[in-house]
Amino acid sequence: MFKNYLKIAWRNLKKNKGYTVINVGGLALGMAVTLIIGLWVEDELTYNDYFSNHDHIAQVYQSQTFNGNVSTGQAIPRPLEMELREKYGDNFEHLIMSSWNISRYLGYKEKSLSKNGNYMQRPAPEMLDLKIIKGEKDGLREINSVMLSASSAQALFGDEDPIGKSVEVNNQYDVAVSAVYEDIPANNSFSDLDFIMPWDKLLATQEWMRNAVDSWGNNSFQMFVQIDENVTMEGVTKAILNSKQEANENSVLFDAKIFLLPMNDWYLRSNFENGKQYGGRIKYVWLFSIIGAFVLLLACINFMNLSTARSEKRAKEVGIRKSIGSQRGQLIYQFLSESFLVVLFAFFVAIVIVFFGLNGFNELASKKIEFPWSNGLFWLISALFILTTALLAGSYPALYLSSFRPVDVLKGTFKAGKYAGLPRKILVVIQFTVSVAFIIGTVIVMQQINHAKNRPVGYDKEGLVQIPTMSQDFAGKYDLMRAEFLKSNAVVEMSASSSPTTQIWSNRSGFIWDGKPEGFQEDLAWTEVTPEYVKSLNMKIIAGRDFSREFASDSSAVLLNETAVKYLGIEDPVGKFLRDDNDEDPNPPLKIIGVVQDMITQSPYEPVKQGVYVFANDDSSYYNLRLNPEQSASQNIAIIEGVFKEHFPDLPFQYDFIDDEYGEKFASEERIGTLAGIFTALAILISCLGLFGLTSFVAEQRTKEIGVRKVLGASTFNVWNMLSKDFLKLVTISCFIAIPVSYYVMNGWLQDYPYRVILEWWIFVLAVVGALAITILTVSYQAIKAANANPVTSLRTE
Amino acid sequence: MLVQLDGIFKWVQQGGQQIFLLKDINLEVEEGEFISIMGPSGSGKSTLLNVMGMLDTFDEGTYNFLDEPVHNLKEKHRANLYKQYIGFVFQAYHLIDELTVYENLEMPLLYKKIPSSERKAIVADMLDRFNIVGKKDLFPGQLSGGQQQLVGVARALVGKPKLILADEPTGNLNSKQGEEIMELFKKLNEEGVTIIQVTHSEKNAAYGSRTINLLDGRMV
Repeated sequence: MFKNYLKIAWRNLKKNKGYTVINVGGLALGMAVTLIIGLWVEDELTYNDYFSNHDHIAQVYQSQTFNGNVSTGQAIPRPLEMELREKYGDNFEHLIMSSWNISRYLGYKEKSLSKNGNYMQRPAPEMLDLKIIKGEKDGLREINSVMLSASSAQALFGDEDPIGKSVEVNNQYDVAVSAVYEDIPANNSFSDLDFIMPWDKLLATQEWMRNAVDSWGNNSFQMFVQIDENVTMEGVTKAILNSKQEANENSVLFDAKIFLLPMNDWYLRSNFENGKQYGGRIKYVWLFSIIGAFVLLLACINFMNLSTARSEKRAKEVGIRKSIGSQRGQLIYQFLSESFLVVLFAFFVAIVIVFFGLNGFNELASKKIEFPWSNGLFWLISALFILTTALLAGSYPALYLSSFRPVDVLKGTFKAGKYAGLPRKILVVIQFTVSVAFIIGTVIVMQQINHAKNRPVGYDKEGLVQIPTMSQDFAGKYDLMRAEFLKSNAVVEMSASSSPTTQIWSNRSGFIWDGKPEGFQEDLAWTEVTPEYVKSLNMKIIAGRDFSREFASDSSAVLLNETAVKYLGIEDPVGKFLRDDNDEDPNPPLKIIGVVQDMITQSPYEPVKQGVYVFANDDSSYYNLRLNPEQSASQNIAIIEGVFKEHFPDLPFQYDFIDDEYGEKFASEERIGTLAGIFTALAILISCLGLFGLTSFVAEQRTKEIGVRKVLGASTFNVWNMLSKDFLKLVTISCFIAIPVSYYVMNGWLQDYPYRVILEWWIFVLAVVGALAITILTVSYQAIKAANANPVTSLRTE
Repeated sequence: MLVQLDGIFKWVQQGGQQIFLLKDINLEVEEGEFISIMGPSGSGKSTLLNVMGMLDTFDEGTYNFLDEPVHNLKEKHRANLYKQYIGFVFQAYHLIDELTVYENLEMPLLYKKIPSSERKAIVADMLDRFNIVGKKDLFPGQLSGGQQQLVGVARALVGKPKLILADEPTGNLNSKQGEEIMELFKKLNEEGVTIIQVTHSEKNAAYGSRTINLLDGRMV
């Protein structure tokens, strides 16, 4: 019996090729989108699953309140380590102090490579459960040791056995390779952990860190913990919440709270608002899950609509089967089997689409998702997915078709009732509501990105290059290098700074100035720069003057940005002072010599932070080079590299274009925008496929009517108008539903961005016009074809 | 008694008025009869046939088929009853276009859940009997009208029914083809199958042993 059903289903599909292509194609497209999104969501949700202890690992976070603003972050002070170990030690299986992920030059023989890694305390490999390929897991026992990832070991040593070999770090000190561990896969925190060195080694080489051992105010370190089996994250957080305030009176002022952020939340739920965990990337996981579900729904709606539209053709078969003895249940079963066959077929097509599309998707989404061929669970879920889709898409046609009364259909008097088309119309409205909402959403995302991109940055980022100079080798060479670069004619101006142009690395407080309000706790972005900074970046001085080497007193001078002037509340700031509020051993007061225009260093979606630029002669993290605009960038870079190699033959030449670095700030939003755009296009395509199929059936149904009308004198335009009008009406209704819904959703989305585009009415008009235009185009082909048919032939179909 | 209709009424509401399709039909059919139903268009011939075939319902009266009260049966029982005892022949043949001759003949057996080997034997036998073995793999669209109706009759017979209901079986056929079908009915009747046909033609009605005339839903 089942075979008989499949046979008739197959023959039906073969007979109506156009219908089959639209139906299977649309469904396959929808399933492919859903599959890809499913794989992406799975990838997001399994972030950090590589670490076997991920349920018990957490990072210690701190919230502090400055002037009513709660700021939350990973940075904690060093004395917290001893405090937690001594008073709360029972809660932790491991407690690990760690540096940030920092870059180091690793040298072996002639080679020198720049790699990123952390300095961590001894149990780190145990906590992360690193897969050791060579050497010992307890590889941080000796202070002069380094553990390397497999790929960095390969890059440095090639085929040699690295264990025990000596590696030179930043041309400063030597460490011996104690272990090689498997690379940490891409969808994990620590995936860029190229090396681990002992925490104590970092302390030994950095005086300021050693000095920070008792400094509760120096929040510059990270701490990771693995909690004990018998406690919960919430329990530990509750225990340690006030640990800092109890140990250090001063931090009561800032209401310092210490808490754990579980590893499972690092990636998806790491946003904080007012000290409370507040979403994060998880919102995109939700967003795309919803998009996936909707796209599949659209494809299923196509299937339902086309099947029921064809019902009059199948009605006779239903009648015959019923008169021969089929019961309704058997017919439902038959039509569901048909739907199952189509869905199965579409699934295979979808698999092929996903297989070929996955690489492109990975590129767009910057992912490394592989097709899970050998994953049993995937196939099980796929089977369920097929069954669900078959039921979803097939249930309505099955119930509808099987309800025909044999007498009606066999007598030839069967006519779909007045309301038979209503569910179909509702489904079309749903489809276009979703499509129009997608269009509006995508346009707004794109607009927001452009809005932020066009925001004035406050300096000239074109033709600006930075070179990292954190190695000891650069110490004391600034003036020399500046002279050399300028002489080479590839650089027209150069400066050095303590943090990159596109980031803030340091914040300071503890100043006094005239008119400082009582109890005001300031928080200033702190960048140390050489006197040429403003010139090299083409920043604008709006009051006072720039730094100058001619005034010896400038060595204790600062520039404020506009926001800082407002923030500190200093009128006519030029000539006034910022004094250190440390009574015992105060630093010399800083003289404000000028004000510069705000420059975007952090998120382009947020207001510029108040900041000071402090005069520094040499010690820096980056060189900022203004390239010679008369030569091509590649020429300039080649010359710069030559000069660089002349002076630092052992160091790899590294550089970044500032506009690329700045562009990185948009990467996440742009990815979302691109993906949303693609999915929207597919959603529209699927809806149009359905509409196209539907129009052709309507035109076919009304062939006789069109013939009669033409005989009576209707023009092609009249007929086109008659057929298009119905669909245009439906799409217009969709627009009226989609506009408020998308306005509400997108308005909510935009609230996350302080610097945001204003929702303008023309976006909505554009979406409506677009949807109507697409509808007219889709419907017209069939409508005009029907209108141009010879009435004699169409009337002969009786 | 094969069919026993007592006081059957059937009506529809149209614009607040009750229009009677069947009025007080009392009819008994014995096994082995060959009955022709005649009457002008709209007199209720097809409706009466559909009621007897359980494809259509009625509003009043009782209907016993082989002493089973049809008016009291659930859909499932009713379906079982006519699946087993009744075969239909339609004016427009009503073969399934997507199935071959063989598959069309097989279909009623599938619904009767007859095992595969037995099915093959019955269908082969039927093809042989109607001389259409050579056409078994053709689709209905590839046959002439007479041949299609032949398949239609074969399909009605394949389930070995006691009663065949034929609604103007020769209406779409030319006179020669029509005659062949009527001869076939006559032969089947002689073999013991009860036949009730609706017809416009006096000539075809003459094949039957009894004629029932209908006018405006009433037996006259």
